[in-house]
Amino acid sequence: MWTFIIRRLLQSVIVIIGVTCISFVALQIGGDPTYLYVSERATDAEIEQTRKALGFDRPLHEQYLSFVGKLVQGDFGNSLSYRRPAIDAVMEALPATIELTLFSMIVAIGLAIPLGIFAALYRGTAVDGSIMTMGMLGQSIPNFWLGIMMIMFFGLYLRWFPISGHVPFLMPLIQGDVARAFSQLPQALYYLIMPGIAVGFYSLSRNARLVRSSMLEVLNQDYVRTARSKGISERQVIVRHALRNAWLPVVTMIGLEFGFLLGGVVVVEMVFSWPGIGRLVFNAINQRDIPVVQASVIVLALVFISLNLIVDLIYARIDPRVKL
Amino acid sequence: MNALRSLLLAGSAVLAATAPTLAAPPDDTIVVGLSADASTFDPAQISSRDNANIAKHIFGTLYQVTFEGEIQPYLAKDVAISEDGKTYTFTLNEGLTCDDGEPLTAEDVAYSFTRPADPDLKFTGNTPGFVYSTLGFAGAEAVDDLTVNVMIKEKNSLGLGMMSQVYIHCKDSYEAMSADDAALKPIGSGSYKLASWARGSEVVLEKVKDPGTFQNIIFRIIPEASTRTAELIAGNVDIITNVSPDQVGAIDASGSASVKKVSGTRRMFVGFNQNPVFAQDEGGAAIAKAEVRRALQYAVDVPAICAQLLGTECERAASLVNPPNDDPSIEPYPYDPEMAETLLDEAGYPRQADGTRFSIKLQGPRGRYLNDANVIQAIGQFLNDVGVNTEVELLEWASVYSPLLRTKEMGPLFFLGMGGVTWSPQYDMAAFATPDAAVNYPSWTEPKWFDQWPALRNAATPEEERTIINSMLEVFHEEAPWLMLYFQPDFYGVSNRLDWTPRRDEEIDLFYAKLAQ
Repeated sequence: MWTFIIRRLLQSVIVIIGVTCISFVALQIGGDPTYLYVSERATDAEIEQTRKALGFDRPLHEQYLSFVGKLVQGDFGNSLSYRRPAIDAVMEALPATIELTLFSMIVAIGLAIPLGIFAALYRGTAVDGSIMTMGMLGQSIPNFWLGIMMIMFFGLYLRWFPISGHVPFLMPLIQGDVARAFSQLPQALYYLIMPGIAVGFYSLSRNARLVRSSMLEVLNQDYVRTARSKGISERQVIVRHALRNAWLPVVTMIGLEFGFLLGGVVVVEMVFSWPGIGRLVFNAINQRDIPVVQASVIVLALVFISLNLIVDLIYARIDPRVKL
Repeated sequence: MNALRSLLLAGSAVLAATAPTLAAPPDDTIVVGLSADASTFDPAQISSRDNANIAKHIFGTLYQVTFEGEIQPYLAKDVAISEDGKTYTFTLNEGLTCDDGEPLTAEDVAYSFTRPADPDLKFTGNTPGFVYSTLGFAGAEAVDDLTVNVMIKEKNSLGLGMMSQVYIHCKDSYEAMSADDAALKPIGSGSYKLASWARGSEVVLEKVKDPGTFQNIIFRIIPEASTRTAELIAGNVDIITNVSPDQVGAIDASGSASVKKVSGTRRMFVGFNQNPVFAQDEGGAAIAKAEVRRALQYAVDVPAICAQLLGTECERAASLVNPPNDDPSIEPYPYDPEMAETLLDEAGYPRQADGTRFSIKLQGPRGRYLNDANVIQAIGQFLNDVGVNTEVELLEWASVYSPLLRTKEMGPLFFLGMGGVTWSPQYDMAAFATPDAAVNYPSWTEPKWFDQWPALRNAATPEEERTIINSMLEVFHEEAPWLMLYFQPDFYGVSNRLDWTPRRDEEIDLFYAKLAQ
């Protein structure tokens, strides 16, 4: 197992180098970012002075090597917009995104499994039809549009949920203020409902269809038929035999889902004024704040790689047939 | 099934019991929805308009520009300008303090002026990057506790207005601060202090002294325009900025808020780029002639563009100077395509067999100004209608269009908006301060204009100054380096519970906002 972990970590380093290189070049293709940091009336001398102050006067390869050199020492550089360490800005925004991603995962997986099971159990009925229609709609509606519609209907018309904003839970928890974190938890959940559904609805729809297909397949297996013929109750057949065998693909799905949802929060964070990493990256790209974009990309890549590694390890743990 | 139902009911009950009430802000609090967060509160680093709109409530200035465009005392009680115009001697009000209780003296003011200019600190905010270059800042020194001199390199009619943009803060506190602290924990000299800043969410200010009607000001960061609109209609925010024209109807019909439109100070125009690099270009050669530039002024229906694309009525701008500092006797060019065609014929550009007179490229940014892409395309169509074969090219602002502007190689027709002010005609005219000025984007060299600058700078009386300005504006109208369009309208959504009037200069001034009767 350790060989596997070390091999994966080495692969991760290559991935991180590739990610930094691609994002660095992509941001530079857009031209000299200096103009974003000077007044429209700035003279050539002032522009040049700002260019030097920001370090854009050096050749591209020198800028990149300098960045990588500092990176290995844990220094991501200072944000050009915020004038503070880029990694601080990213780590400040990350908990809000993780809250949103976890909540949308609960929506996407926690609801998809029962819905998929119901659809499979009541195949061909109105229940099945309704769930599959919802599944089709969910995969057709862009999440930002769904978000805006939810704001209009549930936020503005019915006034059930807050239109935008965020109440932190993870951040006070990380800072050690457990009492504050848990006192804010109901509010945090309240603010999470609409953006969480907007982010997770696509995945919920897709997963419900997947679970339904998977369940239909399992329910037709011989061992399920055998279990039923032995007189075991239907609930036990479903929970003990069918669901247990459906668990492995679900674990894989959770790992992939987190990465997928993490990438999907950018627009929804903008719509709901959610102060997460997606919005940070969006603004940083607009401002060509290269250190913040780089730090965000690396942190997200690390999260994604770590999760995949954890999923692989769990997979091996719960399925003895899998060797690492 | 019963268990699931019970769980859902229990969950709903818990949420309903613990969720915050969605109520309007309390009477002592005003909430403003901004599209972008502040990036720093270091007074020497602040550069964006949204950032400055928050900071102006935290930091005082020596003088301030009023709603009407007058420059009036704020932290200073008066100013004396030396005979040569190079030294401004300010006398401070007595009893001034910073937020931390430290007395604010002339030494602090001198420090507030010199700190942004320190090259070792590498500041890139508006003060070192723009104010000081426009001002020709030379230094500042305390004379006594209440008197401070600010020196500039040469006489400058914009002096007091530009000095009014420098944020005043206390020396001892800022000398002891790290760069991080200066960015995150400002110690200001204005009416409000920073109470909290949840990055990306909200900035909360708390009143510490007059002027200021509300005890708390909350700036909520809501990037998406439709979300800002929804929050306003729901009564959760009192003021929103940058209302999109397509949302004006929804807000006005809501019964809880309305849209206030102001004709802003940003001058929108199409520039005629006379840079010699376009001399060999057919269109570039054509617009080098004043007759052609004048003819094209008649070709564009500006009021129709405003009504159809900007969602408001507007009058066409007659000059580059904002009212009330313009010359009211100069009339804007009317929309008269027949006149445009006649003048183009007379200028030596009759329609060819294919119906066109000459070809030219019109470049402009996408997403920089209100509905800019559609406005540019409409202008292109109006020019096509009078036989000028116009190729419209829309470019990304930051990486493509902005560098072209810097090197003056855009166009030769180019769409642009330039900020202006209400307090000085010279500020607006400074776009053409010299033929090689960085913002003389059309590379205009007309001697009848530029030769009048020395006389204007040395004018002895305001009347003499006005006469020269009017003469220059007449030249600008006749020689037409810009195809004048409009002053960009700004739309603010304002809650009905509030009595607040927006300013024309994009500044958000909340000191005198109050609850409606």
